[in-house]
Order: sequence, then structure tokens, then C-alpha cells
Amino acid sequence: MSVKRCMRSYLSQPSFPRQKNVFVKKENTRFQGGFYLPDAYPLQFCSIIEDISSDGTPEMFQFKVPDQKVAHIIVNLCPTEPWALPNWVILKHKTPSFLNMLKEIKTNYFPGAVLSLAINEGECRTVEDAKKFASNEDWMRVFPLYAKYPQDDPVLLLKVILGIEVSFGQDTKSLGVLILDAQTVSAIYESCILRNKVDSRLIVLSGTGLKENEIVNVQLGTSIEKILKNKVKETGKYRVFINGPLRGNEITDLSQKINWSVNNIVVLEEKNRKVMFPMIKSDELILTTNLLGELRRCVYCNYCDNICPVDLEPALYYHSYTRGEKHKARLYNLEKCIECGLCSFICPSKLELLHIIKECKALDKQHEKIT
Amino acid sequence: MKKLLKPVEPVLEKGLDTVGSFIHTHPKINFLFGALFGAFDGLLRSARETTHTQPFIRNNYDVKRFMGAVLVALVAGWVLPAMYFYGWQGVVSKLLVSFIIGIFVVDVIWAIIAREEHISEGGFVSCLFIPAILPPQAPLWLVGLGAALAIIFRNILGGVGNNLVNPALFSRLFLTICFPALLVTGYQTPFVGIPDLHTFRYGLDAVTHATPFTAFKTGGETTSYLSLLLGTANGSMGETCRLALILSGLWLIKMRVANWRIPASYLGSVLILSVFFSLILGRTVAPPLFQLLSGGLILGAFFMATDPITATYNQTAKWIFGAGCGLITVLIRNFTTLPEGVMYSILLMNLLAIPIQSLMVKIRYRV
Ligand code: SF4
Ligand code: SF4
Repeated sequence: MSVKRCMRSYLSQPSFPRQKNVFVKKENTRFQGGFYLPDAYPLQFCSIIEDISSDGTPEMFQFKVPDQKVAHIIVNLCPTEPWALPNWVILKHKTPSFLNMLKEIKTNYFPGAVLSLAINEGECRTVEDAKKFASNEDWMRVFPLYAKYPQDDPVLLLKVILGIEVSFGQDTKSLGVLILDAQTVSAIYESCILRNKVDSRLIVLSGTGLKENEIVNVQLGTSIEKILKNKVKETGKYRVFINGPLRGNEITDLSQKINWSVNNIVVLEEKNRKVMFPMIKSDELILTTNLLGELRRCVYCNYCDNICPVDLEPALYYHSYTRGEKHKARLYNLEKCIECGLCSFICPSKLELLHIIKECKALDKQHEKIT
Repeated sequence: MKKLLKPVEPVLEKGLDTVGSFIHTHPKINFLFGALFGAFDGLLRSARETTHTQPFIRNNYDVKRFMGAVLVALVAGWVLPAMYFYGWQGVVSKLLVSFIIGIFVVDVIWAIIAREEHISEGGFVSCLFIPAILPPQAPLWLVGLGAALAIIFRNILGGVGNNLVNPALFSRLFLTICFPALLVTGYQTPFVGIPDLHTFRYGLDAVTHATPFTAFKTGGETTSYLSLLLGTANGSMGETCRLALILSGLWLIKMRVANWRIPASYLGSVLILSVFFSLILGRTVAPPLFQLLSGGLILGAFFMATDPITATYNQTAKWIFGAGCGLITVLIRNFTTLPEGVMYSILLMNLLAIPIQSLMVKIRYRV
């Protein structure tokens, strides 16, 4: 079924039929592949939150109600990356008051919308509280999800929660779906309901390049340099990434200012030297920029297609690419790739699969333009 | 452990650095020992390279561990049991001959002729297979010739990561054609019990010419399943102790080095087909369990057919690949005069893997 048809039939229902037990079938909440990151990178955060103010006048958080009709709101309480903002920072272990905030936002701005909560199933208290709350509200549904990366990607969230397929990079607002994270919800509440000024956001600082993993409250417009001051280990080189080392970008210009789209800053040690006995000292290498192996040819090990969350076979792109047939990559469902980077992450031959995928996609775009 | 190693670290680090820079500044030495040093260095130290494109962190799993796991599994699966059953001296001498001829003679000559930068370490696994698939009493020169052929084939067919067929099996096929007599004789009787000094070195002196399968074909008698499983029945040097092979094969699957689909479909199809033929044709076909446990089937299914480079990449195609191996094995074993079908079946399916793979890709993506 095409996305539009699907969506229309779904939109025509005024609200979801009430269910006593809002359980979704197990296989719905799961997908093949993916990777549970907290096992590999268990990060602990200091519970004190430091405030950092900007030098100039801070920017204000502004929420713009989308022009399109919002039929569905998805609140993502299932961060899958360990360097993302943990739920407890916003919920403060008081789920009902957070849900009341949501209720007010909904009644004031999106009266007809259905709201789905995607919650990390490991946080049992939150799930239970939310279920209790949802049993009295027929516009709210609760989806306990296994926090396997990249479950919180919009493509997979929409598939699990609404059962619709969207393509990567598609604007979900045009489908009438609004995806919010916990921090944005509380900012909307503060600014639109309580009419307070919101000019700061919580940012998670973590990584091997820092003295300590912590969460800071930063005024918008503060430079990254100022945030990291006195927090980076003095020894050795480091590299800075925003929004995580898997999907985020590297920042070389540290004078860049923080805006609302920055969720976290990860500072990694640049391990560009050899480490003795890597087998027993893997803690020195994990979560650094080291490649952890050497570049080789593909050995057809199937790791990449086992881990791919949307069931692609990334090695096929690599082979098209090395044979000089970049244009052929698109034949193998290339457009479905959500650029999660897990294939490059897992590849034992350390092939730059995501890079190849992006290059082939760019070629595809050019191709479309010409024809 | 960490504390114990701490004092040696700087010394070792410095030593490796000096050796490394010495090797890299002398092209001739780099040519001969570059790969060996690289492998050794890679075992002791991590890589120096860092990531430059997304994602910026990588998983702690590389091809070296892959090869290491295969080597460990092979040593546990056939080298150690073979040392017990046939005496350590024969096993060690064969392994040495295989490694020296295969890697240090043939691979080096090849690298000189082909003007490669240095010899690669990928031949180790092939050379470790060669003695395993020859009879225990095979003369040393046969082992050396086998290793040489395996490495030559491997290089001709494209080197590591590009093999068309399993080089070790291909070389054995060649030997079967050239020296048929040597490959059906020399099946030393495995030793059982507590070894004395002589048997510890040489094993038993008794030699037969019949493997369990040829015995079945000529006389219709089956060997006891327990002796097949434990390795006290005769056969090629590396295929007899099936229990060890199964256990180390399962370990490889658990380590996700071998793909479980291939042994499952291979062994499964052999079982199903032999049950099928037994029901139709009765006693002229070997009984199913006997088929599963005899010959090189276990070694082939867990270690040779699973070689990812010669199998298909697509996971559904792996089922077809394994089932094809099973079908050919059963057909050759029961309906031809050949004593064993595992080698032919894997080689044939290696060749068929390419069309199967492209067919599956065509079906899956409708291109
Ligand atoms: S993970 Fe890497 S080496 Fe393995 S099949 Fe995929 S591309 Fe090839
Ligand atoms: S980057 Fe694309 S191809 Fe690679 S694992 Fe993620 S979705 Fe699959």
C-alpha cells in the first residue's frame, strides 16, 4: 500500500478504538538487526546539572505549530544512544506530572490528535505510570520499546507505532505526524502554556576525551568552546562530535554556537597510536576514534546485513562501488537506508560502507535531476 | 594480568617499533617478513588508523580475530585429536612441511613473480587444512605438493577475499587425479588407550586401506557410530574425531565466524535425503546416521563449506548452497563408484555459488 493511501485510511479514524491493555504485539516493537549500545558503552552521568550562560544575548526557544493538521503526536521517551539525554533528567521520576504537561499541550494546541508514547521498556516505573495514565485517556497509547539503536529513528518509530512506511529524510509533518522528544515537550509547556521564557537547553557531555560525563544546562547561543572549557582531559588529542559519534557530525570549529538541534556533545580521544595488548586493554580503545582493526577486502561475513535495521545488504553496495558501477547500487533498495551507520560500525574489514552509501545516493540524486 | 604486563610494555613497544621501522626501510626484508611481522604486531598491538567518516566509532571486531578463531577451532578440532590418534610426530612434521612449502616457498616465489609488496598471511588456514584431508600415512612429499598446489590455486584464483573455490579442496582434487593410489591407501588405524612412548610419537603401525565408507560399499558393513563419533574409526587425518569437530564447529558458530545456515542445511539435507533413499531403496543405500558420521562430512560442513568467501553472500542463498552440497554428497556417495562425495560437492557448489547468488539478488530486488 502506498504511504498516502495508508495514511488516509488511518487519518479517517477519529481516534483509536479503546483497548484495555495497550499491548502491541511483540514482533511489532522489534525489528531485525540493530545494536544495543548501552552494553558496549555503559555511560554514567554525574547527577548535578551545571548552568552555563552565554556571553551574548541568548536566543529564545520558539515553538511553531505546524501548518498541516497534526493527527498524531509521537513522544519519544526511548533514547537508544547512551550519550543521549536520559529520561530521568526531564521526567525527574515524576511521570504523571510530565503526562499532565502533555495533556495540556494536546488540549490547547492539538485537540484532535492521538498521542503515542514510545518508552524504553527497561524503565518499568515509567511504563507502568504511563499505562495507568493512558487507561483513563482514550487519546493516549503507550508503546514500551526495546531501546536498541536505531529504534528511535523516525522511520522505525513510524513503522512500529503507526505501521506506515516512510522513506528516510521524508518530512513527517506533511503526513500529519509530529515527533517530539522529552526536552522539547517540556520546553513547549514552559513557553506556550506557562508563558515563561525558555532560552536554555540541557546538553549531555560525554566521551573518553572528558574528565567526567555530565549534563549541563546551556543558554542557546553559547559556543562549544565555552562549554568544554576545563572539562577536557589535558593529555592527548581529542575530537568533538555533536549529536553522537554514530550519526552526528564532527565539529572542527569550536566557536560554533549551540542551538536547539544540539542534543549532546561527545568528545572522543584521538587514539592515533598503537596500544599494547589490545585484547586485555580494550577499555583504552573503546569509544575512541581508533579504527580497531585494519582496512581489508570484504570477507562476506554477513555482519552488515545481520545488523542492518531495515534489512538491506550493504556489501552489495560495496561491491558495486569497487567494480566502478556506482549507479547499480540503487537497484538494491538503496533509498531504504536510514543512514544509521551500523554497517560501517560492525564491519570487521573496516570498510567505509556508510560513506559509499552516501556517495551512491548523491549520484542517484544527480541522476534524478537530469532525467 | 595488566599489572604483570606493565613492566614489559615499554621494552616490547620499543623493540617492535625498531623492528618495524627496520623492516619498512628494507624492501627485501619487508617482502619476506613484512606480512609475518604485521601479523605478529597486529596480535600484540592495536591499529594506528582512526576514523574519518561517519560513524566515528567502530566495533571492536576485526578480520584478524576471525582468522584467529578459525585457527583455534581447527587446532582443537583436528590437530590435537590427530596427535593422540596418530602420534604427534607425524602430525607436526606434516604441518611443518605444509606451512614451509606452502607459505615460505610457493607464496614467496609467487610474490616475486607477481611483484607483490609482501606475502599475505591468508595462506595459513589453507595450509592447516592440507594434512587434514589426506590419509594419515600420506608421504610428506604429497603433503608438500598439496600445500604448494593449494597456494598456487589460491593465488591464481585471486588471493584472499577473492577465491572462487576452496583452494585446499581443489588441491586435493588435483592429487586425487594424479595419484589415485596414494589417496585410497595409507589409512592408519587410530590408536586407542593410554599411549606409551612409541605410540605417543608414531601411533599404531597397523595400516588398512579401507575407510568405513569403502568398507560399506564393498562388504555392506557399517562401523559402530560411537567409534565414528569419537574418532577411533579410520579415515583422513583430520576428519575422524567428529566429536571434537562438532564442538569446535559449534564454537565457531557461536562466535559468529561460521554461518549456522550452511552446516544446518548441509547436514539437514544429507539426513533427509539419505532417509528418503533408504526408505525407497533399502539396504543398498548407507543408513542415514552412518552417512552423517562417516567420511569428511562433518569437517566439510562446519569448516570448508562455511568459508564465507567461497559461499554465497545472500543468506537465503546459503540454504540453497548447503542443500546443494548435501544433495551432491548423497548422490555421489550412493550412486557412483567414488568412495567419498564431500570434496566434489563442496567444489561444485563453490562454482555454483556465483550463479545462485546473482539469481537470489535478482529475485530479491527484481532487477
Ligand atoms: S561486514 Fe564488511 S566484510 Fe562483512 S560482508 Fe559486510 S562489507 Fe563485507
Ligand atoms: S547505514 Fe543503511 S545500510 Fe547501513 S546498517 Fe544502517 S540502514 Fe542499513
